[in-house]
Amino acid sequence: METAINQTFNTKVNNLLGVNKEDAKISKTYLFVSFVILLIGGFLGLAQGLNRAGLLELPSWLNYYQILTMHGVFMLLAFTTFFTFGYLYAGLSHELGGLLPKVRKIVWTAFAAKIIGAVLVVIPILMNEASVMYTFYPPLKAHPMFYIGLVFFAVGMWLCNIGGFIQVANWRKNNKGKHVPIFSYFATGINILMFFALIPVAIEVLTLIPWSIGWTKTVNVMVSRTLFWAFGHTLVNIWYLTATSAWYVIAPKLIGGKRWSDTLTRVVIIALVIMNITGGFHHQIIDPGISLPVKMMHVFMSLAIGFPSLMTAFAMFAVFEKTARKQGGKGLIGWYKKMPWGDVRFLALFISMASFIPAGAGGIAQTTNQLDTVVHNTMWIVGHFHLTLGVTVALAFFGISYWLVPYISGRVLTPKINKLGVIQTWIWTIGMIFMSGSMHTVGLFGSPRRTSYTTYGDHATALSWDPYMMALAIGGTLLIIGVILQVYAVINMMFFAPKGETEFPIADVEENASPTPYWTERWGIWIIVMLIVVAMAYVIPLSEFILNGPPGSPGFKTW
Amino acid sequence: MTQLLVGLFMIIFLALPPVAKIMESVMIIHMHMQMPMLIIAGFLIAKFFQERYPGFFEKWNRNGLPGIMLFIIIVSFWTLPRTMDEALNEAGMEIFKFISLPLLAGIPLRDSWKRLGKIGRNVVIILFTILFFVMGWLYVDAPVQLCNNYLVIDQIILGWGFLTTAICFVIYLGYILFVDPSKYE
Ligand code: HEM
Ligand SMILES: [Cu+2]
Repeated sequence: METAINQTFNTKVNNLLGVNKEDAKISKTYLFVSFVILLIGGFLGLAQGLNRAGLLELPSWLNYYQILTMHGVFMLLAFTTFFTFGYLYAGLSHELGGLLPKVRKIVWTAFAAKIIGAVLVVIPILMNEASVMYTFYPPLKAHPMFYIGLVFFAVGMWLCNIGGFIQVANWRKNNKGKHVPIFSYFATGINILMFFALIPVAIEVLTLIPWSIGWTKTVNVMVSRTLFWAFGHTLVNIWYLTATSAWYVIAPKLIGGKRWSDTLTRVVIIALVIMNITGGFHHQIIDPGISLPVKMMHVFMSLAIGFPSLMTAFAMFAVFEKTARKQGGKGLIGWYKKMPWGDVRFLALFISMASFIPAGAGGIAQTTNQLDTVVHNTMWIVGHFHLTLGVTVALAFFGISYWLVPYISGRVLTPKINKLGVIQTWIWTIGMIFMSGSMHTVGLFGSPRRTSYTTYGDHATALSWDPYMMALAIGGTLLIIGVILQVYAVINMMFFAPKGETEFPIADVEENASPTPYWTERWGIWIIVMLIVVAMAYVIPLSEFILNGPPGSPGFKTW
Repeated sequence: MTQLLVGLFMIIFLALPPVAKIMESVMIIHMHMQMPMLIIAGFLIAKFFQERYPGFFEKWNRNGLPGIMLFIIIVSFWTLPRTMDEALNEAGMEIFKFISLPLLAGIPLRDSWKRLGKIGRNVVIILFTILFFVMGWLYVDAPVQLCNNYLVIDQIILGWGFLTTAICFVIYLGYILFVDPSKYE
């Protein structure tokens, strides 16, 4: 009963003040940390870009591989995690009538765990004891503190997932038979996927800690790699799913339209949750020890993820066109003029979506064995994930920040900051076109990734890469301007913009939509289907790696 | 009608020689992917027959028991090492596999599932959980090659496939035991 009263009280507070103060503090802290990390990570990225163009020689106390490890960990793990939970918890609080006090405690504990974890990870990197890249699989061996920090960080992520589950379960108990509201539904999918994706990497790290301390002499490299990618791949897709939530739920509202089919949206989420983890194998197409039929099977499993992704693209363009035509847009493509291109909240989301077309195409190419042998471990790959993460995900997050930060800060987005945001978005886009474009191209010519500047004794081929590396550096410079503008905008909206009320823009379903079937709420079943799919996919390679395993590898410190 | 077409298409696709060959080249894919997909195909086709011949199902499968018995017999038959071997060696047996799994397992499964009721369904799942644990233990622990066509390592992998699937069933049973849907729905 108490919670029910609490609930209505919270809803009232919500309606009055727009946002629950204590919940806003959580999101504010998470977002603030997230953008500080982006700022540092951006400068690290710039240092790499300038180094690879031969413009910047790095000092011996902070070498290329330290920077690379930190850039990867910061951007792929920290910036994204902090942003995602700041965003998800703001939405959960908004949609479900405020966070439960218990959940708040969990999320703060999670925050502490993540910060402790991040510090423990960064110290050994700075000591030059952990240049193992963000993928950290053996035989490269880091200082034990690095792995222990990862465990803390993972526990922090788990706690955030659990807080989300508790919040949603409580709402369902108080709202029997109702569908979980769409934003919280997305959050649930994201939490489930992350919760399960963390299990394999936790197992991996727990085997690496005794190995790194010296208690065990060797470690099974293939098992470690496989466990890592079950997580690493899924993590990227979790950030993608977070971006997708904004496309489905937020973007229609920003253009004054309605959401696309509620049922199909939920089906897309379920499909992405069930099929995602097994996609990890497409990062191991070139790995030894996996037989051809199994690799073949995994090509299909990876491409299967493409299906819900394509549905997303279709859905979004359908929504845009419908809305624009309602507002008087005409012609086969003339309707696009009706879109609010001057609104950064929409523009950033749109470019984020559009960039997924070339990014997805590149991904499909890489899933193909023969094509992947050409680009594997070249700069092409780096170009690819700066499209998927650096544009699709990062721009979606940036776009979200322009209403989310004012919303949680009780402030408004001023026309000036909006304009700055539009400029920022274009700078970022152009910067990424330069950087990612040149990375893709030079990768095709064989330039390796994860390699500090070298001319290979003035070898002609290596010298021929230089012009592209110059373009990369130009892109990187534009991007750092973008990062600075973005962080400036966030700080301004958080602390200095005029006070006022900002809406959490969740779009409604169409009026004549058919009701959503209740089986979409039965996550218990979908989780078990997911587990069976994962078991089926992993049992062959893992059994082979373990039963036919080589003696195992000692640790190497190659730097 | 679409379900019928999808089901038929699945059977034809799975029966294409290159597809069948690649799936059957790995023991666990043969048993844990090709065979379940054939059952799913039958499951989809079932709707057509149910609508066409409601009287037949009503008469022979009123409480779902005959259907589920048939399902259990057919599926158990195909979990034997010997039958898999034979399907690879003899065309007749292979054809029987492609017919029996959709028609004699998939269709009765769909028709029976609704009629069985909650307890009946859970009994079936518990039965299969036990069967999968036993088969898993057999395949993982057998010191000799059980199939002429597959290596011992393939066998062990299949065993682990059985065990992990059985664990998933246990999780499911725990879920329905401990989570009370009336609290939420
Ligand atoms: C200022 C913007 C950025 C610049 C200039 C930049 C530049 C670079 C460069 C030059 C490399 C790699 C080089 C190599 O393989 O030798 C790299 C790697 C990487 N970047 Fe960025 N980047 C930026 C933003 C981002 C963002 C926003 C993300 C993700 C959200 C990201 C994620 C990564 C990852 C995961 C790697 C791989 C690290 C590894 O291979 O271990 N970067 N970046
Ligand atoms: Cu992937």
